[in-house]
Amino acid sequence: MKRDPIYGMMAEFDSAQALLDAAHKTYQSGYRKIDAYSPFPIEGLADEIGFHHNSVPLVVLIGGIIGGCTGYLMQWWMSAVDYPLNIGGRPTHSWPSFIVITFEMTILFAGLSAVFGMLALNGLPMPYHPVFNVSRFAMASRDRFFLIVFSSDPKYNAPQTRSFLETLQPRSISEVPS
Amino acid sequence: MSAPAVHIDLSPPPVVKTLAQRLMIAGIVLAIAAIALAFCRPDEFYRGYLLAFMDWLGVTLGSMAIIMVRHLTGGGWGVVIRRIQGAAMRTLPILTVLFIPIPIAVLQHRIYPWAMPVSSITDDHIREHLIKYPDVRGYLNMPGFIIRAIIYFAIWNVLSFLLTKWSHEGDSPSTRDNTKRFARLSGPGLILYGFTITFAAIDWVMSLDPTWISTIFGLIILAGQLLSAICFAVFVERILSDYKPMSELLKPDFVHDHGKWMLTFIMLWAYFSFSQWLIIWAGNLPNEITFYLKRLNGGWGWIGLILALFHFCVPFAILLSRPFKRNIRKLFWLAVWLLFMRWLDLFWIIEPNFSQTLHFTLADIVVSCAMGCLWLGFYFRNLASLPLLPAYDASIGEVLEPRHG
Repeated sequence: MKRDPIYGMMAEFDSAQALLDAAHKTYQSGYRKIDAYSPFPIEGLADEIGFHHNSVPLVVLIGGIIGGCTGYLMQWWMSAVDYPLNIGGRPTHSWPSFIVITFEMTILFAGLSAVFGMLALNGLPMPYHPVFNVSRFAMASRDRFFLIVFSSDPKYNAPQTRSFLETLQPRSISEVPS
Repeated sequence: MSAPAVHIDLSPPPVVKTLAQRLMIAGIVLAIAAIALAFCRPDEFYRGYLLAFMDWLGVTLGSMAIIMVRHLTGGGWGVVIRRIQGAAMRTLPILTVLFIPIPIAVLQHRIYPWAMPVSSITDDHIREHLIKYPDVRGYLNMPGFIIRAIIYFAIWNVLSFLLTKWSHEGDSPSTRDNTKRFARLSGPGLILYGFTITFAAIDWVMSLDPTWISTIFGLIILAGQLLSAICFAVFVERILSDYKPMSELLKPDFVHDHGKWMLTFIMLWAYFSFSQWLIIWAGNLPNEITFYLKRLNGGWGWIGLILALFHFCVPFAILLSRPFKRNIRKLFWLAVWLLFMRWLDLFWIIEPNFSQTLHFTLADIVVSCAMGCLWLGFYFRNLASLPLLPAYDASIGEVLEPRHG
């Protein structure tokens, strides 16, 4: 697949509130394929760029359920099938004593699912990302806030998008090469 | 402290006063029935009374604890319910008076085996234990019981009094910033609450079976009280959310936080309860296991199963949902259900001491309802007496700022 030579149009802002307002206006004016970058998490920003749902919770839930079942079945198989031991005269399949490990395995699997599910869904690690082609973008990890409209957006049109972004009064606007 | 511009009327809606009057009338009618029971069936009455008292004390003390947590952490979630919980905390003087029948039960040698002459204890295991270990009565005795109760209530009332007084002072713009003062009281206050409720749980509930010991028991009661309190706050905020000013101030973000608290306290309660069960089950020692033998046989096991499923499993699964936690109408029903589960949990802890087979007495229900209506009557009267929000709280800005989007 031939890549579009232009990745998108990026605007730079001074504050979190400016970014929030800009994201709100951009989304309102019909742009859908947009993203925002900030040095720290900003409450409400995800909602403003139209990013309401992600599948990480589902992945974590499934991971947790698999972990819990694995933990319980493992103990049942070890204690009741493979190597039955008489412990204090209790039945070999004594569920109360299995609960702690079942719980721990649930947490372990859910935690690992959260980490790897997150990495799988957001595509990290990513050795190359076009936004770094703009040298000012290095400031995104310090004190600047960036908003990008991707060129894949159906409404994207270089001069029009640039003039729209100008109305948001950014500090600077750059075209991002892929 | 710069005074935020509070441009909306924060006075409670008139419905609060109406509720207070109606509940007070219902409470008085039911209280007459309860008093009648006290004369016809005193033993059943005192058991039911202890159950009712522990249940409503839970909402009161839990509210005080959550208020103190909020004073240490800050946050908008706590500002919206500060007055809702504050009104619950201010029922402490009423509960202090309502405690009096419990020492009367001790004086009349009722319900607490250690308060009875050895010959009149019906349970063989308890009688033999008290004969074998007379030292038990060195701690569990009438003067000790009363002196300790006075200490608990003194500590709780002082905490409640100071938190209320400062909160009330904070309603006028001229006073100094209370935030630090609240935090300095709340830290030690929470530690005191943890200790006093542990000792109170031992005195009032655990000592119903003086042979039994469990070091985690106080924490189970504590987690239950916190759960009762947050569920009650959700219950009241739902009622208020139909009227101004709460209809404008209660944002889904805050409801979400209250839902998270519910989930937390459900898990905390389940964690403590299960730990106690696991340790006692694994140890299988005669002086510990009797607690569960009583509570799993003779039909009581069904209550235990209901608690495991509907005090933990089902609410836990429901509360994992984010949209559910953000919806006050839905969360309300779960909160009401959990308030009932709190009662059932205390029922399952208290009543099997008196009966080998499962049964509900009339007193369990009548006294709980009577005390509930009276308590709610006083509660809504308290709620009507102060503005619904502390207008000069440091986090008030979060509540008053307009909704996003």
